[in-house]
Amino acid sequence: MRRRRMRFCLTLALWVATLSAADGPLAPYIGRKLSQGALGHEQLREIFFVRQSKWQDGTPIRVFVLPDSHPLHVRFAKEILGVYPYQLRSAWDRMLFSGTGVPPTVVDSAEEMRRRVGATQGAIGYLGE
Amino acid sequence: MAAICLFSGLPPAAPALDLGYGDWQLHGFLSQGYTYTSGNNFFGNSRGAGSLDFTEIGVNVLGHPWPNLLIAAQGLYRNAAGSDQEDFRLDYANLDYRLPLGGASYIGVRAGRVKNPFVLYNEGRDAVWNRPGVLLPTAIYFDALALRQPEISSDGGLLYGRHAFGDHALSAEFLVSEVQDNTGGATEFLTGIPNAPGELGGRPFFIGRAGYDWMEGRLRLVFTMVDLDRDFESSSPFVPDGKIKLTAPLGSVQVNLEDWTFTGEYGQIFSERSGFTAGGIPIENTSEVYYVQAQYRFAPRWSALLRYDAFFVNIDDRDGRDTASLIGLPRHRFFAKDITFGLRWEFAQNWLIAAEYHSVNGTAGLSTADNPELNLGGGDPHWDLFALMLSFRF
Repeated sequence: MRRRRMRFCLTLALWVATLSAADGPLAPYIGRKLSQGALGHEQLREIFFVRQSKWQDGTPIRVFVLPDSHPLHVRFAKEILGVYPYQLRSAWDRMLFSGTGVPPTVVDSAEEMRRRVGATQGAIGYLGE
Repeated sequence: MAAICLFSGLPPAAPALDLGYGDWQLHGFLSQGYTYTSGNNFFGNSRGAGSLDFTEIGVNVLGHPWPNLLIAAQGLYRNAAGSDQEDFRLDYANLDYRLPLGGASYIGVRAGRVKNPFVLYNEGRDAVWNRPGVLLPTAIYFDALALRQPEISSDGGLLYGRHAFGDHALSAEFLVSEVQDNTGGATEFLTGIPNAPGELGGRPFFIGRAGYDWMEGRLRLVFTMVDLDRDFESSSPFVPDGKIKLTAPLGSVQVNLEDWTFTGEYGQIFSERSGFTAGGIPIENTSEVYYVQAQYRFAPRWSALLRYDAFFVNIDDRDGRDTASLIGLPRHRFFAKDITFGLRWEFAQNWLIAAEYHSVNGTAGLSTADNPELNLGGGDPHWDLFALMLSFRF
């Protein structure tokens, strides 16, 4: 179990190394065992724009994000997803007030992100160093 | 540095808005507005000391009982004085089933009371958070006119699909529904008969909307087509039955840059009314609506807005002179040209305040419920509007 977890962490770490920006690494944070391999930009956008609602194994995806102006959120939006934070916020608000999707849960801090993602089945968030 | 991975197993904690089961959430907003006009009335008695008759309160609940099935409902209270007297209403209540097609593509069906897939800002418009300022452009969104409610949502079903490839995405929606045109003055507006004695019925309402976006909307192109065909059944022996047909193609463009967003929408509304018209002869008319808008996010949580919007009741008579001599009302009833400057500030988490100033030439966008003198030859052709809105969301 421990060895498998380490191998998975290494795989994800290697992938993140190619994506991270100059001023510190930023990684999507998955609160469950990933069996389908690393997630590319397109799939991350599908997940964070809440268009994809379940993982390949059928578990519902639960998305967690930090507040719009949190520096980690701004970096995640621009560097990993390739969008401006207001584009995410517009899309989430539009779906929320039109009944067409459930937006991500906003948590207040990185510590709460870590805690909630760890405690929720199928969750995904993001963490920095 | 390390990517952290954990395994789940513990039950989730439940903060403010999560309903504690699955992904169910409760959200809402409370918005209070103030309007002041130099002439005419906009949302209540807005001359003099101004009007506070502008309140929007919404509460919604949404969640997935199964991964591809969404249930969502929103109740709304809106007061906009004469132009909206419905008070509480069900804004949307739908079931949405989505079928992933592989890659980033999917199709789906949504049924119930659904938001109409209409141009850019329609679906989320009840919450000021989704609007570029306090009010949407009158030209397309008719905020003070009786067509507003029919524009917003209807009872029926819609099919939708999205196909994404690389940074591009194509989307389409097709709606078939019962339009809400027997509410709040819409019958009068569509037939052109004040206090129209009777009801509208007929075949379902159709809307098709197709869109292309690049990089999640850095460029958005949308085309909407509305098709309405209604029979007017008069309940008075003095007013004959008739038909009203309305077709409206509208195009929208939006460019989203880091600090700037540029938006433009243009449409024409072709209408044909017959039966209850003079001599029963069909009357055809084409109206024109458009706006251009720039938003500048000059500081975190702040944005400035500049917009020009125009509504011409008769595209062949943009200054309204011919229509005025035909109908016997002043020409300012047949157009509305509006220059708006606004500011929006999210001054605290979940709070926003927005203010805007409009300089308007023409009264086509005004409510006759708030301004009964408009039907009697009165009204101020040039008028200014100041609107302010404070909102809290949860």
